[in-house]
Amino acid sequence: MNRRNFLSWGSAGVVTLGTGVAVSLGAVVRFLMPSVFYEPPQTFKIGTPGDFAFGMPTFLVDEKIFVFRDREKGFSVASAVCTHLGCTVAHFQSDNRFHCPCHGSVFAPDGSVIHGPAPKPLQWFEVTLARDGQLRVDKDKVVPAGYRLMV
Amino acid sequence: MNLIRDIYQSIVRRDPLSTDKGKSELVFLNVWLHIHPAKVKKESLKFKHTFYLGFITFFLFVILVTTGIALMFYYRPYPPHAYQDMKDLQFVVFMGPFLRGMHRWAAHGMVVCVFLHMCRVFYTGSYKKPRQFNWVVGVFLLLLTLGLSFTGYLLPWDQLAFWAITVGTNIGSYAPLVGGKLREILLGGHTVGEAALLRFYVLHVAILPSFMILLTVVHFWRVRKDGGLSRPVWKLKPNKPEQLVTIGAPPQTAPLNAVAASTDKTYGLMEVVTGKPIFETITPDEEEDAVFSYPYAFFREAIALMVTVTGIMAISLFFRAPLEELANPAKTPNPAKAPWYFLGLQELVSHSALLGGVVAPTLMVLALLAIPYFDRNPSRRPSDRKWAIWLFTIFVVANLVLIVIGTFFRGPGWALVPPWVHVVAGAE
Repeated sequence: MNRRNFLSWGSAGVVTLGTGVAVSLGAVVRFLMPSVFYEPPQTFKIGTPGDFAFGMPTFLVDEKIFVFRDREKGFSVASAVCTHLGCTVAHFQSDNRFHCPCHGSVFAPDGSVIHGPAPKPLQWFEVTLARDGQLRVDKDKVVPAGYRLMV
Repeated sequence: MNLIRDIYQSIVRRDPLSTDKGKSELVFLNVWLHIHPAKVKKESLKFKHTFYLGFITFFLFVILVTTGIALMFYYRPYPPHAYQDMKDLQFVVFMGPFLRGMHRWAAHGMVVCVFLHMCRVFYTGSYKKPRQFNWVVGVFLLLLTLGLSFTGYLLPWDQLAFWAITVGTNIGSYAPLVGGKLREILLGGHTVGEAALLRFYVLHVAILPSFMILLTVVHFWRVRKDGGLSRPVWKLKPNKPEQLVTIGAPPQTAPLNAVAASTDKTYGLMEVVTGKPIFETITPDEEEDAVFSYPYAFFREAIALMVTVTGIMAISLFFRAPLEELANPAKTPNPAKAPWYFLGLQELVSHSALLGGVVAPTLMVLALLAIPYFDRNPSRRPSDRKWAIWLFTIFVVANLVLIVIGTFFRGPGWALVPPWVHVVAGAE
């Protein structure tokens, strides 16, 4: 085997081996990404408009959302997940603000950050009226803070 | 009787331990002991040089593996069962609270001892050439220790577990480019749920311990190959190249009975090659100072092992491993605190998740890894390395201060509350 042959076969071998390793690593990463998520759906119904009182927001535990009902403006739904590191914020009636217990972020009633480490305002989700008369929330559809559903 | 003797001699083939040859053969004919040299420098065994922190850390790891395997018999990594199994371990399983206590307290002890061991190695300058790489291995062992702690405390599926993992994996998602995917792979989903529990379990009982064992083996091997246990600073040879001697009087340092390599000694040579060994070599007069590993080193190691095991057992008799209420995704406890060794990190992320949770820890680890390569000062004497010692001390104190603030000075809503003020959480 001469030098030219050695180098060409050698580089072909290195490229093949490298490709094989890269593909295998990719396969490992893909294997670790589940193809199916056995998680609660992102779209769900939360009940009829009449279930919700006017004024203070209703906290839905399992969905981790606050449902607001305003006499003039209608329905809006805010996420209860802190945008900092994912703890669940609590709504304090005393100051009508959202407080995060983990690192002290405080959010205004419109979701904007008042202080603390949270980098973004709380998310607002689209809420629509389903055919059966129930409110439907879609957590995949993030809407601006001013979004309202009039019922 | 001959048969019994034959069987014994087929297992133990060394000479009697009363002879020097027997003492050497005990070490190098035994697969478990031969990581030791047959003889060690006496001063390297001094307690006040190393405080045996490396040994103690290793023994704690042995306790963790043993008790961990025991706990696996009664634990199912599935949300409906996991917390129930913890309660069973607490109230039903024979010696359950004791075993779980040992596992928990040994884990805390290991975090402490790994850190102290690192400090000892730094302050005695034991990471210097030719031991630079072993320091790097040690930093990875520290990271693995923290990783094992982190994956371990998700398993009880209590409130601490749930929220620590929620926060921890969210910190990961701030990592640039890969963050979001990283979190999804770690959790096996988008929220902390059954897939996440199973993944952290596999990491905790299989993947991370495997790496821990592999790197520990490398770490020990390199201690041996890089010149054995490090020598105390106070035993280092003085920098003066020549000593003044009075003609006619024997030099003060001369050993009384220094002899050249004796013809009585036998050597097993593998191959004769030229070149200077990379590790420290022993000169004949230094060998005078060496003692056989049996019994000197083994005795001290056995004492360290017994003190470690009895210490952890005693603590576990009196203090139970904490278990909070069942994980409740809807209600974050207030304040939600990580275990103490992560409270420094939690304090940092309470200011900024990206800077405090990703950038600062990454820089800290990189700085630790770089120490042996940037510190090119060959001297191990504290008086020659004032700057290095100051910098490292600032690093250690900064970490401790952050942990103390996170532990004692943070109240509900992570507000600054001195420990002597009692606050009732303002949940409404």
